Amino acid sequence: MKPWQKNAILAVAVLAFGAARMPFEAGLAKELRAAHLTAPDLQIGTGERIGQTSTAVALGGLRTLVATFLNLKAFSYFQELRWDELAETFDTIVDLAPRTPYYWDAGSSHLAYDAASYYLSQSTLPPLRRKEAWRASIRQGRAFLERGIRNNPQDWTLLTKLGNILSDSNKFSAYADQDKVFLDAADAYRRAAATGEAPPFVKRAELWPLARVRGKEKEALELAHRFYAEKSNRVPTLKCLVFVLEAHENPGMDLRKRAVEIFGSEQEAYDQLSNHWMRIREKFPVYGVAATLELLGKSLGIPPEKSVLSQPMPPPADMDRFFSR
Amino acid sequence: MSTTATVSRGSHAGRIWVIARHAFTQLVRMKVFYFLAVFAVIAIGSNFFELPQHEGVESAGVNVLRSIKSWSLGTMTLFSVVLSIVATALLLPKDVEDRTLYTILAKPVPRIDYLAGKLLGVLMLVLVSLALMDVLMTAVLHIRTGIVIEQQVAFARMQEWPQATIDSMRLEIAAQGATWSLQGAVWAVFLRASIIASLALLISTFSTSTLFTTIISFLLYFIGHFQADARNVYLQAGEAGQGMFARIASLVISLVLPDFQNFNIIDDVIQGQTIPLLILGKLTLVGLYYAVFFTIASWFIFAEKEF
Repeated sequence: MKPWQKNAILAVAVLAFGAARMPFEAGLAKELRAAHLTAPDLQIGTGERIGQTSTAVALGGLRTLVATFLNLKAFSYFQELRWDELAETFDTIVDLAPRTPYYWDAGSSHLAYDAASYYLSQSTLPPLRRKEAWRASIRQGRAFLERGIRNNPQDWTLLTKLGNILSDSNKFSAYADQDKVFLDAADAYRRAAATGEAPPFVKRAELWPLARVRGKEKEALELAHRFYAEKSNRVPTLKCLVFVLEAHENPGMDLRKRAVEIFGSEQEAYDQLSNHWMRIREKFPVYGVAATLELLGKSLGIPPEKSVLSQPMPPPADMDRFFSR
Repeated sequence: MSTTATVSRGSHAGRIWVIARHAFTQLVRMKVFYFLAVFAVIAIGSNFFELPQHEGVESAGVNVLRSIKSWSLGTMTLFSVVLSIVATALLLPKDVEDRTLYTILAKPVPRIDYLAGKLLGVLMLVLVSLALMDVLMTAVLHIRTGIVIEQQVAFARMQEWPQATIDSMRLEIAAQGATWSLQGAVWAVFLRASIIASLALLISTFSTSTLFTTIISFLLYFIGHFQADARNVYLQAGEAGQGMFARIASLVISLVLPDFQNFNIIDDVIQGQTIPLLILGKLTLVGLYYAVFFTIASWFIFAEKEF
């Protein structure tokens, strides 16, 4: 057989072999994508950001490994307080490993917590610029986390982190409409609980922001009663919220009697409600708390000057005082 | 004794097995297993890549399990591909250099047996290497998973979580440890290495040097990861309004090159995804299909090659 004949036969065989396997391979690729076993395609621009060598490595089936290396790089940006580079690196990391919740969580935490705190304390910048940078970092962290949730809708940890950011007393004042932020936080916790994998404290957490939304007290009370029905849920915050929401629903209720029913004793009720009263930064409702503390104080023989109502209150959750210094 | 008898009866399998064992021994003598020491350092070292975490106490320690899997499977992929390409590229030229090839071909040994034996020898080497790395990774992961579970259960008990929640958390952490899917991922790494080894064998039959075979094989390995894109361009060309040239080029690429992207399941297994057995079976079928075709194609070229 002449060489050209041999080559021609081989070429035809290769093409025929390819044609035979192509439909099967295309189907398998679809199946793998549907089963979340192969990652989505790299975004345009990721190659440029990670460099030629890393692109080759990533395309060679080592995307997760490149993401691990980049995570180390991002950590050094965090140590050097280079927030823009950090955000850019995390964008690349999650493009390489979109189904690793840890990277979404770490990226958003660096932005919403670390970068925001950095701008808060940057005394060399004018207050307005600091405030704007602080607000932008929190929003950037939230947006990053929401992207992570869209990529991993069944992951309870990311939804919980979103709830945490939105109900954090150092973060929610970055938004003008705080009722909306608390509603979003409650929704995030509810969705986390709906995955069926979240631990009990996450399920309870839906109530904490919902109770703070003006006009949603009835809904919050129903939820509070649902949790309260189960003994293991009766943590101090839940007991306090059941009490204040009931006081809102029924302003004429016997406050002292109900407090003793919920907390077990007058002393316990006084201590727990005092703590609740002092949590002003968290913006929890305090319906009936002052009146109950007064009643319980009298009953327990606490002198007025020692009453919690006479103590100076901690500053409210208003970050403006940081920027006015 | 039995092997000799098998060979004398002219069994292909017997001959292939003898050549494979010889190729395996030949490669082992090149001290390739030294890299296992490097792997051990990586597998154990990955335990210490614990950056200050942004995770709550309720999920502390789980990330390090992913880190161990990521480093280990990444290293396995790298080693298996390098080993497959370099070992295969070396085999034929080395046999020519040692003049072993002339001795073998002077005997009534069909050339297909020789090629299949050589390929099998390389695959045995890759399989043994991967198995040893897998054992090490599984051991490290198993120990670390146990530690993480112990810590988390202690935390959950302290928080008085219900038993059902503790059990579910235990399962969730265990899914990040040494699972059957992880073994499936190692198998997928082996399949990909098998395909690239058989492709390197095909190239080495007409290549003029080891270096050429190695470079071209690596190049095809990387291009193979774009094959799926080329296929998509071809299949959707009508809708996207691609030109005729782009359509033909994408068709040729997708017909000629293997689709390595399908074997990229390791990234998602690292995140705790489960591989259905059916999918693993299909991947094995694809791997086998490529290996057999490329070996036959190699034989087609090698059959009349003069030395």
